[in-house]
Amino acid sequence: MRHGKYPFILSFLALPVGLYAWLVIVPFAQAFQISLTDWSGSSNQFDYIGLDNYVNLFKDDRLVLPALRNTGIILVVLPVVTIGLSLFFAFMLNIGGRSRQGRIEGVRGSRFHKVVFFFPQVLSLAIIGILWKQVYAPENFGGLITGGLEALGLPSPVNGFLADKRLVLVSVIGVLVWSAVGLYLVFFSSAMAAIPRELYEAGIVDGAGRFQTFFKITLPLLWESVQTAWIYLSIIALDVFVLVYMMTPGQGGPDGASEVVGGVIWKYAFKHGEQAFASALGVVLFFAALTLAVVSLRAGRRERIEY
Amino acid sequence: MRKPSTTPHFSRRRLLGTTAAGVAATSLAACATSGSDEDIEDVSVGDDAENPFGVDGSLPLDVVIFDGGFGDEYAVQHQEMYQSAFPDAKVEHLATQAIAETQQPRFAQGEPCDVLDNSGAQQIPMDALVTDGELAELTPLLDAPSYDDPNVTVRETLRDGVLEAGTFNGKVYALNYVFSAWTIWYDAALFADKGWTPPTTWDEMLALCPDIQAEGIAPWTYAGQHPVYLYDMFLMLAGRHGGVDVLKAIDHLEADAWRHDSVVAAAEAMYGLWEAGYILEGTPGIDHIQSQTAFNNHEAAFIPVGSWLPNEQKGIAPEGFEYAPMGVPYLEGSVQPGLISAGGEEPFVVPQKAANKPGAYEYLRIMLSKQGSQIFGDTVQAATIVKGVELENLAAQLTDELVSNPEDLFQPRFRFWYTKMDEEVRPALGGLMAGEIDPDQFIERMQTVADETAADDGVEKFTHGA
Repeated sequence: MRHGKYPFILSFLALPVGLYAWLVIVPFAQAFQISLTDWSGSSNQFDYIGLDNYVNLFKDDRLVLPALRNTGIILVVLPVVTIGLSLFFAFMLNIGGRSRQGRIEGVRGSRFHKVVFFFPQVLSLAIIGILWKQVYAPENFGGLITGGLEALGLPSPVNGFLADKRLVLVSVIGVLVWSAVGLYLVFFSSAMAAIPRELYEAGIVDGAGRFQTFFKITLPLLWESVQTAWIYLSIIALDVFVLVYMMTPGQGGPDGASEVVGGVIWKYAFKHGEQAFASALGVVLFFAALTLAVVSLRAGRRERIEY
Repeated sequence: MRKPSTTPHFSRRRLLGTTAAGVAATSLAACATSGSDEDIEDVSVGDDAENPFGVDGSLPLDVVIFDGGFGDEYAVQHQEMYQSAFPDAKVEHLATQAIAETQQPRFAQGEPCDVLDNSGAQQIPMDALVTDGELAELTPLLDAPSYDDPNVTVRETLRDGVLEAGTFNGKVYALNYVFSAWTIWYDAALFADKGWTPPTTWDEMLALCPDIQAEGIAPWTYAGQHPVYLYDMFLMLAGRHGGVDVLKAIDHLEADAWRHDSVVAAAEAMYGLWEAGYILEGTPGIDHIQSQTAFNNHEAAFIPVGSWLPNEQKGIAPEGFEYAPMGVPYLEGSVQPGLISAGGEEPFVVPQKAANKPGAYEYLRIMLSKQGSQIFGDTVQAATIVKGVELENLAAQLTDELVSNPEDLFQPRFRFWYTKMDEEVRPALGGLMAGEIDPDQFIERMQTVADETAADDGVEKFTHGA
């Protein structure tokens, strides 16, 4: 190695690493520090109180425990439903069509469908929230779904979907899925495009139907993409807050039925004036996300198929 | 969890220096929880009636206004008044809705603004600010000679009872500048047209409901997604029945305060509206805009809102609509039927560590002058807490009649004193009015959270003055 190489490299590294440390690592470290205090957030005085905040976290059955439960539900349901739907759609749009003259292609109008499915991705979450709030509104206030159900003579929640404790969380998850499917559809589509057509042709010659083609060929070859999507969606699930904030009554209601961890952190930090408690919950969320990423990467590890 | 960076003004040299410090990570200096304690000076009232706080006219004044329903035009004009009194002072004006986002970091650093209109959805919690000792007491302001007459103190120019809302354990920390009352609203024109008499008692109201329904109108609606709009209606119903002490007991977290007969009677009456089907269908699922629109469209006859309603509806009110307020119809056997929730709103505070405290007090004194108050009345058509400013609208005049007896003014406070109670009373009231929980469950739920709050040593307790 030639003289002066390290100082040269270091001089390039210093700035990005420094910025990263200052803007990411230090605030993270500080959240740990703050979580051990009784800091309110609007003062420059605080005392260290040890792990009290962490102990109290798991005693809070009004906000924290419902939030952990709801976030857990979203964490399971959102990736499963989103990946399932977008894999299905991607398969149908790319491979699932009737084979015409031996060529493998998607269902009729697949290009048009792709654009339509991708549409929600173009809208900002705030707009989606306002849009769906109206869609879910009570029937006599112009709710689209309630109005539709009523017109068909089916039962619908009289106060709209978001004011019903049993339906609010499902409604929020529905919007999340609706807005995410398009992106993963495109994501899986491009991954599917990389699968050699000969494999399908061979399969069809051997008499495989769509069902078998999907489970025996497509899915195994897409495994890495699915895994990536899973991690992204899990992180979205842990982060979900904007929709709950925009759509639900009392930003997590009615009566705590749609509280999520992100929302509870916000409530404690800015509405209750308990920054330290909020930081403790943030630290818990941080470790949950970290564990999740590590576990899903490890557990999902399979042999890579070369083609 | 991520905090806004508190490092201002990057220059390249500073950036490099900062980066080095960050890499070294030897200290957490200049981060969110640091900042120095400066010596805090208390402001006293001097002899000079023109400048009682001894304002140094060369110091800048930093004013932050909540840019909500009232806008900031009035504040700009107040600042012009300050500016003409102190031509050398540089007045910093910030109008924003993001109060907590922009101002909380400044409190945390020990460098807050001088005057803060701590209002709106992003209000910094008052209980936390008071408990932390971050706010200056406003007694010097109240004891100072008023702007217009040196023989009258500022306190004497204010309406009765308006300081209550900013008083924490007998000390005034916030000046709630706007005078408002929580009332029940109806369209006087509609009532005159149909020959209905606005009911004064609950039974009269119940008797009128079938007539209203016969016209295809639902008797009641409210902001179902924000059940806090029911808070004052419910508590006044209870307070009118049993007297104001019933409400004070609730605020003071006394044992069994919620199980008082009057409170139970009020809960049963409210629940009765749902049982009888007197609430506009879908109401629990709508917000304040939708409920007020339904009210404007004559889909519902009564709605509980504060005095700002006519001003808020200005421009969208239907032709010929006459917003008229009334007290909540009282239950039979009420001992204090005139009780009404009225007082100051829109809290202006002076941070304890403000750089220019005398200037801040002077600015508030200007706001409370006749001219300052008239500016507010002219720009937003709402009353301030200063006596004797005339407004030319029906609703304001009717409200003035409702609040004429100072003995009957009372603002229930537990929601402002204890955030946890606030978070509980909203869904509980919403559930009660939507028929999800019955009055007994409602009472037990509120009594439970009141007992928990009372038993929690970590929560600072507040009381009403004698």
